[in-house]
Amino acid sequence: MAQAPGSPDEPGRQMSLPGESGEGVSPAIQALETYKKKDPSKVIVRFKAVGNAPIMKQNFYKITAANRFQAVIQFLRKELAWKAGDPLFTYINLAFSPAPDDTVSNLYKSFATDGHLIVNYSTTAAWG
Amino acid sequence: MSAYGTSRHHPPSSFATSASVALFRRLAWEGTVPLEIRVDPKELPANSDRGLECYYIQAPRVSYLPLLMPELRRFLMDVVFDDAAARILKEEDWWFESEEGALLKWHWPIGLIYDNHAISASARTSSAASISTGTGTAPELQITPLKLILHLASPPTEKLLLPPSAEACKQAFMGQLKEADFIRWGNTKRMTGLRKAEQDGIWEGIREHNFDDYWRVASKIVPTTIPATRPSSPPPSSSASAHARPPSSDPQNAQDRDGAYNVRSVPVRLYLPDGPVIQDLAPPIMEDGTPNTLTRYLSTHLPLLFLSQGPTPDLAFPLVQGIILPPETEMAWLGACMAGADGWVNVCVGLLQ
Repeated sequence: MAQAPGSPDEPGRQMSLPGESGEGVSPAIQALETYKKKDPSKVIVRFKAVGNAPIMKQNFYKITAANRFQAVIQFLRKELAWKAGDPLFTYINLAFSPAPDDTVSNLYKSFATDGHLIVNYSTTAAWG
Repeated sequence: MSAYGTSRHHPPSSFATSASVALFRRLAWEGTVPLEIRVDPKELPANSDRGLECYYIQAPRVSYLPLLMPELRRFLMDVVFDDAAARILKEEDWWFESEEGALLKWHWPIGLIYDNHAISASARTSSAASISTGTGTAPELQITPLKLILHLASPPTEKLLLPPSAEACKQAFMGQLKEADFIRWGNTKRMTGLRKAEQDGIWEGIREHNFDDYWRVASKIVPTTIPATRPSSPPPSSSASAHARPPSSDPQNAQDRDGAYNVRSVPVRLYLPDGPVIQDLAPPIMEDGTPNTLTRYLSTHLPLLFLSQGPTPDLAFPLVQGIILPPETEMAWLGACMAGADGWVNVCVGLLQ
């Protein structure tokens, strides 16, 4: 482990940063640990059927912002009782399919409408 | 390459000529990274030629791993595997890991995979420093081959998220182009306005690594920093360029509605070592009318690492297309000249320690 120069054993003397990760850890690593913490907040996701996709009785859900979009797709498939292999296409704002590894938090920050992240779903490919 | 990123004498906005936009787009496009691909020795079929199981390639940054597969397959089948093994092996089962065991995603541009690996190494204090820092100087990157392990069976499909086909990669790429379009303008009209042949052409440009084919179409969707209408400007000369202003600060050019300084936001993602990816709106012009810069964006979103305004030096550095960028780089210019082929500016954040 890298030691902060001059203060190998005294965490109290190190530059204080909100990251709590203990002794001997460089300030950069401490900062990084802070940014790696999962955002526990939740955002509202609203599902909207497109074309002849089945409509959901409840279409509002609070979803943990740190989840990946892949988790939203899996949740949707479960709610619709979709079988593995049945096609389901998901879009944001009737416009594009996000990468499955993007987080709900990132999508919400960039694309939320009136406090909701709108996820459209379709049984056929739409919008290219 | 890094020489271009450290020329601090000119603000990026003075590069807002058509020749320089074309130059930087060309430099970003022609960027390549060295890869060393090794078949997992435990999975190498019997009778393989063990002396040759390593494959080296200088891969385009804008390309994708699925696009390397035909060439890699040809090499392995011709040189390494015997006929019996070649018959059994299925390319759909192949997948890549880094030497450290990190899964490599099919839908990430190869340049991003390379830079992301470099910054992750910067956070491991014990690792041999691939980034050396002298006191008071900018960090220097050492270009070494990224070592990839090729597995021939049992892909962790859940974690790879996408099948390894070029078609799935193309769909993901198109999705990213559209998302970038939506980020810029709040709609995807420019993308949906492309004819099918143009949409296919843009992907062919990547597959063939053909700059002209790609930009013939991409120039319809990626905004430029060149003013659309040139006001009665004097012919370019050294004295004139000293007075050149970015289009943003010139209200006369406000009609340049499709320009890089008029987007709602630049498509940008921040990648942190071994971890989170942060995406947020990045308007090209701040509320006070000045251009948004990389240092402003980084110190807003990662204030613990980029303390640019204070007396303490930054704890991190931004890497875009393999180049450490000067802090005053304008976001609009990044979006116009340094974005990946999918329209996104990928800023990999490495640690200085």
